[in-house]
Amino acid sequence: MNVQVETPQETAVLELPPETVKLQIKDLNFFYSGKQALFDVSVSFAANAVTALIGPSGCGKSTLLRTLNRMYSLYPGQKATGQVLLDGVDVLGPRVDVAALRARIGMVFQKPTPFPMSIFDNVAYGVRLYEPMSKPDLAIRVEESLRRAALWEEVKDKLKESGLSLSGGQQQRLCVARGIAVRPEILLLDEPASALDPISTARLEETIAELKRDYTIVIVTHNMGQAARLSDHTGFMYLGKLVEFGETEQLFTSPVTTRARDYITGRFG
Amino acid sequence: MTTAADVSAADVPTPPRIARGTGLDRAFEILCFSAATFLLTALGGIVISLAIGGWPAFEAFGFGFFTSSNWDPVQEIYGAAGAVTGTLVTATLALLFALPLAFGIAIFLVELCPPILRRTIGTAVELLAGIPSIVYGMWGLFVFAPWFAKHVQMPIMMSVEPGSFWEKITAGVPNGAGILSASIILAIMILPFIAATTRELLLTIPPQVRESAYGLGSTTFEVITKVSLPYIRTGAIGAVMLGLGRALGETMAVTFIIGNSHGFPTSIFASGSTIASTIANEFAEATDRLHSASLIALGLVLFVITFAVLALARLLIGRQVHA
Repeated sequence: MNVQVETPQETAVLELPPETVKLQIKDLNFFYSGKQALFDVSVSFAANAVTALIGPSGCGKSTLLRTLNRMYSLYPGQKATGQVLLDGVDVLGPRVDVAALRARIGMVFQKPTPFPMSIFDNVAYGVRLYEPMSKPDLAIRVEESLRRAALWEEVKDKLKESGLSLSGGQQQRLCVARGIAVRPEILLLDEPASALDPISTARLEETIAELKRDYTIVIVTHNMGQAARLSDHTGFMYLGKLVEFGETEQLFTSPVTTRARDYITGRFG
Repeated sequence: MTTAADVSAADVPTPPRIARGTGLDRAFEILCFSAATFLLTALGGIVISLAIGGWPAFEAFGFGFFTSSNWDPVQEIYGAAGAVTGTLVTATLALLFALPLAFGIAIFLVELCPPILRRTIGTAVELLAGIPSIVYGMWGLFVFAPWFAKHVQMPIMMSVEPGSFWEKITAGVPNGAGILSASIILAIMILPFIAATTRELLLTIPPQVRESAYGLGSTTFEVITKVSLPYIRTGAIGAVMLGLGRALGETMAVTFIIGNSHGFPTSIFASGSTIASTIANEFAEATDRLHSASLIALGLVLFVITFAVLALARLLIGRQVHA
C-alpha cells in the first residue's frame, strides 16, 4: 500500500515530452451562454496513446471533448477561449475549416448513432465525403474498418440491411467503424460503453486497445476500471478544472492531489 | 435471514381496503369500444348513403361517368372526368409547389434559424394554417388573380411561341382564374400544415445523430440531405399525404378561383373545376334526380380518391417501419 505522507498538492498536471504530443490544450475556458464550464484547462494528449478523462458527472469531461472538434460551434451561445493546438495549429482559430477539421477527428458518442441507411453506407458515409474512390476500393475500406471495429464477422452477410437493425452493441461498433473509416488522426470517445452490456463493452475495449497503434485516442469514461485498463494517461477533472493529469498507473496507485485520491478511493463522486 | 423489517411487516395487520370490483373497468372498456365502433358505423353509413344516393348516376352512365368529361345539366348528361382530372391536377401541382417551400421552412426553422427569429416565423406558420379557407378564396379572387393575370399570365402567354407545346398548355383567358391559380392558392393553404409537421419531425432527431454526421466532417447541407431528411422520411411521407388529402378535398378557396367550367382542362391557365367545387356550386340548384345523384356520385369518387391517398400513405409508412 502506497501511503502519501507529504502535503497533497491542489493540482498536478504532467508535462509530456513535446515530440510525443499530438494535441495540446492551452488555457482553455468554455462557456455555455455565459456560464463557465471549463476553467483554464492546459494539458497535452500524446500521439498513438489512449488518454482517459475521468471525474464526477458535470465536471466538464464531455465539454472538453466537444471543444476538440469544435462540436460546440453548432450551437450559438457556446464559446471557447484559449488554444487547442492540433500538430501545432490552433483549431479554435477563426480561419479553420471546421468540416475538414472534424474529418481529421473522429467522434463516438455515448449512445449509438447509426444513420438511417444500410450498414455499408453507414461506414462509407464519411469516406464518400472526403475521398472519392472506386467501388471496389470503397468496399475494401468498409471491410477493413468493420474488421478493425470487430464487427465484420457479424455483419458481412447483411451489409445492405439497415444500420438500425443491429443490436445496441453492434450499432456502437458500427459507429466506431464509421469513425475510423475516414482514417482520422484522433478518435474522441464520449462514454462509448455506457449503454452497452458487459460482453459488448469487452469487445469495444479490445477494439480501442487495437486502434491505439494508429490513432490518438481520448476517452471520457465513468468507469474507472475501464480507464485503468485502457489508457496510458489519465486526467481527473472536477468542477470544470483539470485537477490531476499523469501516467494512468501513477494516477490510480498514488494520486498526488487530495481530490483525485478521494475520487479514486471512492470517498466521493 | 430474518430482518427487522420482515418481522414488523408480518406483525402489522393488513388495512381494510375499499372493494374495487372489475365492474368499473368493464364499463370503461365498453365505453371506449362503443366510441370506436360509433366512428366505424358513421364511416360505413356515409359510404353506403353516398353509394345509394349516387347509384342512379352510375346506372344511367355506367363506366362513362368516369371517362366522359361532358357535364351538361341542361341535357342531363353527366361525366365526372373533368372534375376528377381537375381535382388530381390541382392537388398534385399544389403539392409540387408546397413541398420544397415547406421543407425549406422546416429545415430553416430547425437547423439554421437564429433563435430570435425562430419563434416569430414558427408562429407565422401556425397562423397561416389557421386562416379559414374562405379568406384564402377571397384573397385569391380579388387580390391574387388580378396580379397573377397581369404579371404572370400575360407575359408568359405573349412570349410563348405560337403553335408550340408551351402555347397549348398555357392557352386560356388571362383573367387570373384557372387551374394554375387554384393550385397556387392550394399550395399556400397546405404549406403551413406540411411545414409545421415536418418541423416537429425534425425536432425528434436526437442531437447526437446530427452531431455524428457533423463529426465526420459533413457540411450542414450534407447533414440535412443525407441524414436528417432520411431520418424523418417515414413521418414526412405521412405529412405530405395528409397535406395532399387536404388539397384534394379543399372546397371554398378552389371554388373561388378555379373558374368553374366543366370539361377536361387542357391548359394550366384554363378554367376548370374540381369535384369539391362542382358540388359546392351546383348542389343548391340540382333539382332533378339525376343531377343530384351525379353530385352524390362525385362525392363518393372524392371519398374513394382521398381514402386511396391515405391508404397509400399507410402502406408506404408501414413498409419503411419494417425495413
